[in-house]
Amino acid sequence: MAVIEVTDLRKRYADLTVLDGVSFSVEEGEIFGILGPNGTGKTTTVECVEGLRRPDGGSIKVLGLDPVKDGRKLREQIGVQLQHTQLPENIKVWEALDLYASFYAKPRNWRELLEEWGLADKRNARFGKLSGGQKQRLFIALALVGNPRVAFLDELTAGLDPQARRTTWELIKRVRASGVTVVLVSHFMDEVEELCDRVAVFDRGTIVAIDTPAGLVDGIDAEHQMRFTLMAGDMVELGGLPGVTGVTRTGSRVVVTGRGDFATAVTAELARHHVLVSDLRIDKRTLDDAFVALTGRSFDATH
Amino acid sequence: MTKLTVVELKLLTREPGAIFSLLIPLFILVVFGSSIEPGDTVLLPMALAIAVGLVGLYMLPTTMATYRERGILRRLSTTPVRPGNLLVVQLILQLVLALTACGLLLAVGGTVLGAHLPTRVLSGVLTFLLGTAAMFAVGLLIAALAPNGRAANGIGVLLYFPMAYLAGLMQPTDQMPDILARIGEYTPLGAFRQSMQDVWAGGAPSPLLLGVMAAYAVVISIAAARFFRWE
Repeated sequence: MAVIEVTDLRKRYADLTVLDGVSFSVEEGEIFGILGPNGTGKTTTVECVEGLRRPDGGSIKVLGLDPVKDGRKLREQIGVQLQHTQLPENIKVWEALDLYASFYAKPRNWRELLEEWGLADKRNARFGKLSGGQKQRLFIALALVGNPRVAFLDELTAGLDPQARRTTWELIKRVRASGVTVVLVSHFMDEVEELCDRVAVFDRGTIVAIDTPAGLVDGIDAEHQMRFTLMAGDMVELGGLPGVTGVTRTGSRVVVTGRGDFATAVTAELARHHVLVSDLRIDKRTLDDAFVALTGRSFDATH
Repeated sequence: MTKLTVVELKLLTREPGAIFSLLIPLFILVVFGSSIEPGDTVLLPMALAIAVGLVGLYMLPTTMATYRERGILRRLSTTPVRPGNLLVVQLILQLVLALTACGLLLAVGGTVLGAHLPTRVLSGVLTFLLGTAAMFAVGLLIAALAPNGRAANGIGVLLYFPMAYLAGLMQPTDQMPDILARIGEYTPLGAFRQSMQDVWAGGAPSPLLLGVMAAYAVVISIAAARFFRWE
């Protein structure tokens, strides 16, 4: 069942077109990624879906509700973590959770959330004294305190150190496991690859592809390489294998270039002829490659 | 709403600025109060005007602009609660703060310092409400126009000194150039101090000055509402 259905969404600011016909749907219980460089309409899209902004055209249904007309009813059932929002410096962790719980008709027990999100020992700490990771965990806990069916998380690991990002990812998986549908806005490829069941790739106000992260990577047919060092046995002819586009050999070092899943064919062929190799490396194709293939430009250069 | 009010009240008591708004007028009252004659009718109205001015120009705009700057109003608009509730709660609490500051001044001034306390309570209350409304309107306009909390704070402080001077809070009006004293009487804070002084002197506040304060409250509030942005 689709919990979010967006059809032909359009939004302009003055003479700048921000969204130019965006359509996608999010299924119940999945982590749906919204990926793209900054300024491609990701946040605007999510804000329209949350009912914070009024679209100029197209239709949006979230849990069967219109975010503009049934805003109040919808906000009972969604949880939101916004980019660039803070709490008052002097509010204590438990006060923030207790306060936000009071906004909803059927909130979760915030004491459980304190435990779940590892904030129990920070219960009486003031917001201003929390570390970046602790603040982020509090924001996610606040997004969940209303017991939502859909949680929107916008750039949730921006500004966190690698360790804290990993921890946050594990926690997001737990959110999905508890049955909450998650919409994750991100401009981090690794995050989306790690967490998302499906991804919509945004570029210049439109969606250029929607697929699983693996599907997106497979969908692009970019050349990539595998390398190895010959240990024992004579080198066999690899050039004729499906997908292989080139083989170069320098002493015992071999580099095979190809498309698709040629590496499996190569390793099978080597094994069949009892050729022993060491130091085998296959360049992993990533979402970065997929993005370049889809948009014709590099992801990183755009922000 | 109850919980929001309780939490906001706690936050207000943790705000050093709130304590200053209570203590600065009290300090001024006590320092100058040691040299007043019993039954003085001038010092308390001045101290009340200082207190209301500080809350209206300093506390109110800084708090509201900071809430917008930190995205708290925006975050609230993603919950079933309207962000307007927070503004209403803040206005009420700032009013309570102004009332507390004035209550403190009256208590200390009326007892320890032996200053005069007016008998026309109703006129006093009416003047307080109109003057506070006018000053809060100015504060709201600052909050609406300032890009962030620091700017609101700066504008508030910058506006406070000329307004306090014109209102006769820096030096008595009879020592000010005549033209400035006349103009000052029609500023929000000046009208407030003059009306309070009339009440203290046992007379009725001038309907013209009450009207001036009411007009400021309405016109400036409308301007503030027009310019206010939620984010």
